[in-house]
Amino acid sequence: MVDPGFLASLLASSIRAGTPLLYATLGEIITERSGVLNLGLEGIMITGAFTGFAVSLATGNPWLGVLCGGIAGMLLALVHAFFSITLKANQSITGLMLVLLGLGITGFLGRNYIGEVAFYLDPVKIPVLSDLPYIGEVLFSHDPMAYFAVILAAFLWFILFKTRYGLEIIAAGEKPEAADSMGVNVDRVRYFSTLFGGFLVGIGGAYLSLAYAKLWTEGMTAGRGWICLALVIFSGWMPQRAILGAYLFGGLDVLSFKLQATGVGVSYHLMKMVPYVVTIVVLLFSVIRKRAAFGAPAALGIPYVRGKKE
Amino acid sequence: MRDIITPVASIAASLLVVGILLAAIGINPFEAYAVMFTSSFTSKFGLAELCVKTTPLILTGLAVAIPLRAGLWNIGAEGQLYMGAFAASVVALYSNLPSYAMLPAMFLTAAIFGMAWAAIPAVLKAKFDLNEILSTLLLNYVAIYWVEYMVYGPMRGKEVYNFPYTDLFPDIATLPRFFGTRFHLGFFIAILIALAIHYIVNKTDFGFSLKVVGANPRAADYAGISRQKVIVYSMLLGGMFAGIAGMIEVSGIQLRLRPSISTGYGYAGIPVALLASGNPLLVMASAALFGFLYVGGSVLQTTYSVPIGIVYVFQSLIVLFIIAGQSLRRRD
Repeated sequence: MVDPGFLASLLASSIRAGTPLLYATLGEIITERSGVLNLGLEGIMITGAFTGFAVSLATGNPWLGVLCGGIAGMLLALVHAFFSITLKANQSITGLMLVLLGLGITGFLGRNYIGEVAFYLDPVKIPVLSDLPYIGEVLFSHDPMAYFAVILAAFLWFILFKTRYGLEIIAAGEKPEAADSMGVNVDRVRYFSTLFGGFLVGIGGAYLSLAYAKLWTEGMTAGRGWICLALVIFSGWMPQRAILGAYLFGGLDVLSFKLQATGVGVSYHLMKMVPYVVTIVVLLFSVIRKRAAFGAPAALGIPYVRGKKE
Repeated sequence: MRDIITPVASIAASLLVVGILLAAIGINPFEAYAVMFTSSFTSKFGLAELCVKTTPLILTGLAVAIPLRAGLWNIGAEGQLYMGAFAASVVALYSNLPSYAMLPAMFLTAAIFGMAWAAIPAVLKAKFDLNEILSTLLLNYVAIYWVEYMVYGPMRGKEVYNFPYTDLFPDIATLPRFFGTRFHLGFFIAILIALAIHYIVNKTDFGFSLKVVGANPRAADYAGISRQKVIVYSMLLGGMFAGIAGMIEVSGIQLRLRPSISTGYGYAGIPVALLASGNPLLVMASAALFGFLYVGGSVLQTTYSVPIGIVYVFQSLIVLFIIAGQSLRRRD
C-alpha cells in the first residue's frame, strides 16, 4: 500500500526534477526539427547552470540568472550552428566537443562558486488551489518557471504545427531542397532553430542550479543532457509529448532519494543507475516502433548544400 | 606538408584561447606554459608521468578509432574502462591464482568485460539500429555507478578506514614499475597493441571490411561484407582496448579499485582518435600530446590550483579548430 502523502510529494518533486529536462528537450526538439542534430546538450546545460548561478549570485536576481543561462546556452549553440550550418562540418563531432568544452569551462571557471549560496527561484503557491489536499501540493505549489515550461510546450506545439514559421522549420528538417525552392532560407531557419534550442537548453540548466538543486557543483548535470536527447526520440519530436517523458524521468531521478528516505533496502548506487537503464530500454522501444508513430526528421544531421543532389 | 599545418595551427590556436582564459583568472599564461613544459620534459619523473598518462589514452584512443573506421561512434570507452578495471580487481583480490597466472588472468578478464560492455550497444545497433552514441554514453553512467556500488559495498576493503576503496592488490597483481618512478609495463603493452592494430587495420580482410563499411555501407553489401558483423566486431575490439586500459590503470597506477580511477580517459579517447584521423600509429602520437596536456594540467592544478577542466577545454578546442581548418581548406 502506498501512503498518499508520500505519493503526492513524489509527484510534486517529479515535476520539479522534470522541469529542467522539459526545457532542454523542447529546445532540442526545435533544433532537430530544423535538421540540425546537436549532441552537445550536456555541455550547454552545464554552462547554463553555471552562468545562471554565477549571475544570480552577482546580481541577487535569479530571473536575470535564468535569462543569462539561456544566453550562455545560445552562445554555445552558436558555435554548433556555425560549424554545422556554415562550415557544413560533421554535426556529431561538434556536438560531442561542445560537451567537453562546456564541462571543461564550467569546471575551470566554477571552482570558486562551489559551496556558495545564490538567490533562487521560490515556489509560488497559487491561492485556493494550492490548499487542495494532495493535488495542491502536486500541481499548484511550484515556482513560475515550472508552470511556464508546460505553457511553453503547448506554445511550441502551436508554432510548429499551426503556423508558417513551424512549417518552415519542419520543411528545413524534412526536405531542405524543397523548402529552398519554395523560397525558404534553409540556413537562416536552421540558425534560428539551433540558437533558440540552445537558449532553452541553457534555461533548463539554469533551472537546475537555481530552482531544483539550489547549488552549483562541477558536472552537476550528471548525464541529464544525454537523457534529454533520448527524450526527444521518445517524444517523437512532438513538444506536447515531451511533457510526459520529462516528468517520468524526473520521477525516476527523485525516486532513489525518496526510497532511501523511507528506508527501503535498495542500494543508493544501484538506484542511481535506473534512469540510464530505463532510457536505453525506452530508446529501444522507440526505435522498434519507429515506423508507427515515431519519425526523425528526414534530413536530421545532414548539412544542406545548395544545388547539391544526394 | 599541408597535413601538418592544420593540426599545428589548431594546437597553437588552442594554446592562445586557453592562455586568454588563464590570464582572465589572473595567471600569467607564458609562465604557466613554461611550467607545463619543464615539468613534463626536464626530469625523469616528468617523462615517466608523461608515459603514465599516455598509456590509457593510446588504448581509449584505439577504442574510439577502430569503430570510427566503420563509421561508429564509441562514446562508451569510459564505461568499458571501468568494467575492465572492475573485472581485473575481482581477479586480483579474490582469485588466489599463482603469480605466473595472475596478471595474464587479470588482462584477459578485463579484455572480456570491456568487450561484453561494448557488446550491448553493438548488438542493439546491429539488430535494431539503436543510436550507438546514446547507448554507449548512457552505459558509462551505469558502469561508473556499478563500480561505486561495489567499492561502497561488497568490495570495500578491510584495511581502508571506511574509505570507498578495495584493499590494495597483492604484489603479484601489480604491473612492474621501472626507474624508481610510476613508469610501468603497461606503457609497452599499449604500444604493442597499437602496432598490432596497425597491422590488422592495414593488412587483413577485417581491416579492409572496416574501411568499406565506414566509407560506403552500400558498397559493403555488394561486396558481400556483412555490415552487422563488422559493426559488432569493431565495437567489441574497441571495448576490449578500453577494458585493458582499465586493468592497466588499476594494476599499474591505483593498485586498488576506487570510484575515480579515470579522469575522463574514455572521453579523451574521442579527440585522440579524431586528431589521429583513426590511424593507429598516429593515435600513439596524439595520445602523447593529450598525455602532455594531462600532466601539464595536473601540474597547473598543484602549482596554480587551476581546475583540471582546463584539459577538457584544450581537448575540445583542438578538435574544433581542426574541423574548422579542414572545412576552410575544402572551400579553396
